[in-house]
Amino acid sequence: MNVHPNEDALNAYAEGSLTAADAAAIEQHVASCVSCRQFVDEVREILRATADLGLQDPPARAWTRIERAIQLEQADKARADGARADGARADGARAFQASEGEIASGHDHGPAKAGRYRLWLPWLAAAAALVLATVVGLRYAPGRSQTGAPTSQAPDGSAQVSAGDAAQSVEYELRQAEAHYENAIKGLEQIANAEQNALDPRTAATLQKNLAVIDQAISESRAAVRSQPASEPAQQSLIENFKTKIALLQDTVALINEMRKGNEAGAARIVSGLKQKGN
Amino acid sequence: MDLVARCRAGEVEAFETLYREHAARLYTLACRMAGSREDGEDLLQEIFLQAYRKLGSFKGDSSIGTWLYRLALNHCLDYVRSRRAKMNKLTETLDADASFEPTARRETPIARMDLERAVERLPEGCREAFVLHDVEGFDHKEVADLLGIAEGTSKSQVFKARMKLRGLLGRR
Repeated sequence: MNVHPNEDALNAYAEGSLTAADAAAIEQHVASCVSCRQFVDEVREILRATADLGLQDPPARAWTRIERAIQLEQADKARADGARADGARADGARAFQASEGEIASGHDHGPAKAGRYRLWLPWLAAAAALVLATVVGLRYAPGRSQTGAPTSQAPDGSAQVSAGDAAQSVEYELRQAEAHYENAIKGLEQIANAEQNALDPRTAATLQKNLAVIDQAISESRAAVRSQPASEPAQQSLIENFKTKIALLQDTVALINEMRKGNEAGAARIVSGLKQKGN
Repeated sequence: MDLVARCRAGEVEAFETLYREHAARLYTLACRMAGSREDGEDLLQEIFLQAYRKLGSFKGDSSIGTWLYRLALNHCLDYVRSRRAKMNKLTETLDADASFEPTARRETPIARMDLERAVERLPEGCREAFVLHDVEGFDHKEVADLLGIAEGTSKSQVFKARMKLRGLLGRR
């Protein structure tokens, strides 16, 4: 084979998915062609490196978020079950007993069997989960209209948006995203500040130091957006800094929860993450 | 009582054990499919909440790990499809993206972190096919079924991803 095989054929050869006859033909060419041999070697190197890719551990706050969401679901279900039981009691159909901090029921309530768990939701976890719920799902992307603002229609039904409208739309989106993040940050800050005494002074100082760095970055990004409102990097930087601050506050709330639960291992994992971010 | 039964009974501690056993694998899958750790973390939360709600439908025909993996994979695929539909971003348009300029040629071995970052930067479409085929080990027929594309498209997307990675990792 004197003609260079195409890249698809070399790829298939490198991964070993060719028939024996096709592989033999390419092997013969590769043996005498430096550039094709190099190509095959590079693909094989990528395949080897890919095979060695390991697993990544999720951040410590991930479980805390899931746990809070489950607790909220359980609480909602318990409330709904309680309301149903109240109705049934009013009808004289069933007696329902509730003792302090515990709901007793003869029903099987599926995964959240009401008789088996205590309503131990601390207000802190519930409040944090509500704040986080406002953040999940918000993915700001500059240059993309998601406002739902009215657009003019072309004769074929497609939307026509002028450059001016698009710029206004991006600015509107950015303002919306900014307000959204600021609300979330405010809520998390209230929780974190109210519970600061649950942290040891050194950890609290590390957190304050990290927050100060992020606040400075947010101020600088804001100034950049003000001077160049259409700059996508400036917009992205502002949003990224908001996200960083939210992540740090989430870690703070997660840490406070772990300390309250007396889970030293969980708290240590979070503190280790905070220190790494601070370095 | 075994772990699954305790989870079904609403024991949060048992569910945490289940999470600790499987979170890394599912988080890694979610990050690679989504192309970002932030989205991967959101997906992980959604996957485990869904698992919590659906544990009642787990019949024990496969291991709980296999059940969780399928649930996670389906959730990631839903996310990828919905994001693609929302963004209306085709791989072809991203191919022209100047941000995928190859870096200077390097001779050092490929570091894991560099490869992870490069995979995150792959264009949508070829990243998912690459992750499913080269990382997760599905064959092209399975990848095609999972992504709702032709088998030939799966092959070309995986090859395209490797070519992009060569450039991103300074291999050409």
